[in-house]
Amino acid sequence: MTIETLESLETASAAVEVHDVHKWYGTHRVLNGIDLTVRPGEVTVIIGPSGSGKSTLLRVVNHLEKPEIGYVSVNGELIGLRRQGDRLKELSERAILTQRSRIGFVFQNFNLFPHLTVLDNVAAAPVATGKLGKAAAQELARELLERVGLADKATAYPRQLSGGQQQRVAIARALALRPGIILFDEPTSALDPELVGEVLAVIRDLARSGTTLVIVTHEIGFAREIADRVVFIDGGKIVEQGPPAEVLDKPQHERTRDFLSKVL
Amino acid sequence: MPTHMSRRSLTRGITAATAVATLATGLAACGGDSDAATTTDAAGTVTVGRLSNAAATETTLKVSEVKSIRAELPDAVKKSGKLVIGSGTLPSGSPPLGFVGSDQKTLTGSEPDLGRLVAAVFGLKPEERRSTWENLFIGLDSGKVDVAFSNVTDTEERKKKYEFASYRKDDLALEVKKDSAWNFDGDYENLAGRTVSVGNGTNQEKILLEWKAKLAKEGKKPLTVKYFQDTNSTYLALSSGKIDAYFGPNPNLAYHAAKTAGTPQATRIAGQFSGAGERLQGLIAATAKKDSGLAKPLADAINYLIKNGQYGKWLKAWNLSGEAVAESEVNPPGLPLDNS
Amino acid sequence: MSESPGTAVSLDASKTTTDSLSTPLELPDVDTAPQRSEPLAAQRVLPLRRPGRWIATAVVLVVVAQIVHGLITNSFYQWDRFAYWFFRPTILDGLGITLEVTALSAVLGLLGGIVIALGRLSRSPVLRAVSWTYVWALRSIPLIVVLIFLYNFSALYKTLSVGVPFGPAFFSFDESRLATDMVVAVIGLSLNEAAYAAEVVRGGILSVDQGQHEAAAALGLPKGYQFRKIVLPQALRSITPNYVNQLIGLIKSTSLVFYVSLFDLFGAAQTMGSTYPGDIVPLLLVVTVWYLILTSIVSVVQFYVERYYARGATRSLPPTPLQKLRAGLSDLRTRIRREAAV
Repeated sequence: MTIETLESLETASAAVEVHDVHKWYGTHRVLNGIDLTVRPGEVTVIIGPSGSGKSTLLRVVNHLEKPEIGYVSVNGELIGLRRQGDRLKELSERAILTQRSRIGFVFQNFNLFPHLTVLDNVAAAPVATGKLGKAAAQELARELLERVGLADKATAYPRQLSGGQQQRVAIARALALRPGIILFDEPTSALDPELVGEVLAVIRDLARSGTTLVIVTHEIGFAREIADRVVFIDGGKIVEQGPPAEVLDKPQHERTRDFLSKVL
Repeated sequence: MPTHMSRRSLTRGITAATAVATLATGLAACGGDSDAATTTDAAGTVTVGRLSNAAATETTLKVSEVKSIRAELPDAVKKSGKLVIGSGTLPSGSPPLGFVGSDQKTLTGSEPDLGRLVAAVFGLKPEERRSTWENLFIGLDSGKVDVAFSNVTDTEERKKKYEFASYRKDDLALEVKKDSAWNFDGDYENLAGRTVSVGNGTNQEKILLEWKAKLAKEGKKPLTVKYFQDTNSTYLALSSGKIDAYFGPNPNLAYHAAKTAGTPQATRIAGQFSGAGERLQGLIAATAKKDSGLAKPLADAINYLIKNGQYGKWLKAWNLSGEAVAESEVNPPGLPLDNS
Repeated sequence: MSESPGTAVSLDASKTTTDSLSTPLELPDVDTAPQRSEPLAAQRVLPLRRPGRWIATAVVLVVVAQIVHGLITNSFYQWDRFAYWFFRPTILDGLGITLEVTALSAVLGLLGGIVIALGRLSRSPVLRAVSWTYVWALRSIPLIVVLIFLYNFSALYKTLSVGVPFGPAFFSFDESRLATDMVVAVIGLSLNEAAYAAEVVRGGILSVDQGQHEAAAALGLPKGYQFRKIVLPQALRSITPNYVNQLIGLIKSTSLVFYVSLFDLFGAAQTMGSTYPGDIVPLLLVVTVWYLILTSIVSVVQFYVERYYARGATRSLPPTPLQKLRAGLSDLRTRIRREAAV
């Protein structure tokens, strides 16, 4: 399965390029013309009120949601589409799955596989996608669990872990495919307050390692600390974006100020 | 959408299921299902009354092929080399007419035995097929079975679809619990106020329903008719007192009464009646599909057996001599159509 | 709990009950305890006496004993004949047919059910409609009718020519030769079973959290892998008890196979009941006991299969009956000792 790249896209240097994306749920317009560029190695934090479309935007990036208008490319490769002449065509399901395996995704509710041990949760994807043999995958999984501080939980089942531990396993699982970019969908929203810190520590660690991260979160303090860029979304549109010092401390728009005054 | 299964995995599933189905077919095809209690050997003898659980005396009869009768058979039957004999006696057998014998696996009984004698006259190999009563007739329709030897009464209704060669009188009886004081005395009025069971779709059912209607018309106490899935259930109902009597073929009832003597379920025969109503002697007949061309050769074969004595010995072996007929007739008059 | 000094004590006691199983402590008398200098929190609470429960238990035991006594002594049941028939070859042959038909139909029915369930969940409207219609039809048509129809299939189709599954149209069969009684019975029961199994499987698949599908998709796991390794194992947790229920029904449905001239356990007993009419009751009892045994075996298997698929679903696995029995016995022992100490 070859995926044609669009050399004409001037964004070959961008890690993620979102181009004029529109998305409806029935008659409800969730995304209303989003343009966003994420540079390699950059940490982008997306903030915005509930229902603003920030989670949907993230899910469009790895094609869990299909945009009605517009397209997304990751590392210069169109997601879910291919170009034939002047037209864009839908990609086969299999090719989309291959693309997704290069994009890490961490869910709000962890979504670990409850019937598999922690080790198997992490080792499953590299084996299933044929990237690694079983032994190599398990070795990698142990390394990653070590990295998120859960080496001793390898044989436990997810439900025997705390929420914070589960989310750290989920991050290790996403890392197992060695993705160029990782998307975080409100990774700490389902956690008890005292467990948030351990998960943020792992994400912070990743940010320092130079991995491209896109994070949807309500943790404004955390955003200020690690973001290279903060994007504020409301009503399916990007209202404002820029370095945290600008967007969070000197917001230009009324809506941004309004939102920040409520969450801070 | 990630929730749905791809068509590819679906196809794979179907292929796997087919493979298993094929395997199952292969396995099951290995088992044979023919186990005749009596065979016609090279010397031309047929043993009747085998494994009868004391319902018959085992008797070996000499029978040889009769070319002139064989010549009357339809070509298809001749060519197949076998005569498929249907016995509608599932799930519970119908001793002594057709039932699993005392080795507890082989089909025996007076009816299949006559079928084998007839097959010997034809020079054909007899092949038994047991089925439920309903499937016996569907089997005749579909050609699965050539001829039914299964206590089938010749009626005008059945003549619409089948043809007959009679071979035995149809006598019916009423069976009651041993300690019951009731007797039939040949008078249906004695049935007033009684609860009687009868086989569904049988000739005797028609007769019983006619009596029921007569009693109602005369303003007598009503006769209640009850049906059961099979004879075992009927007999359970009889011994538990749910019904007063069972109205069925005389040979069956006589066998049952004899076999239960001395057990907690002991019964006795409380009266007999002709299977064709008051005006006509009912006849049991070999039954084939209408226009199959089998009735004539069947009647000729049975008449040959009557003339040469094997018929009498067969009935005697099964203690059914009282039901002998003088000759086999093709499509004799049966229980009339309006008799219901 | 009038004798209980306070809630703090009872809370503490409930927490430590499990410890007491392995290490029976010397029990302080509640009434005298305050006089000792032991702190309240260190004490054990005497369980509440429940005389009503003991009386009810005694009554039930007496009734059960009477029923058993009646079963044994009533001559109607003819237990000597029961013993004669229980292991007769004809009964065991019938049992074999029952097992064979059940096993084949259970496997084929489940496979068919999975295929139909996938059809029901498919995105193709045609597959959805066809599979829905199949389930609708086969659940509506009585099994007996399916069996009778299949048995007399040859009246409608004299020959069957077989194409793709056995290779490119190599031959046509004489239908009545291909369709032995066993094949007809297994096909009939499987067709029927698949319709019910499809709904059980579909329910199981739907019971798997949407997040699991999303997580599998986000990881880029291949479709087949998603179904086999992620969705199905979780679905089986709810499929197992429902399908076993279905299976037990199937064991008993096999008693209908006499319609296709096959002697299963029940058929064998039925036919022997007419040859030996004095033994109808003991024969029915033989059949009942065999069905009880079969159902029991299935239930035991079900327990362990469910336990297997419960991995990860609960924090700890439920105890096996043996473990429960052991725990119950030591519990009883501790209680008796405790009561005796008062």
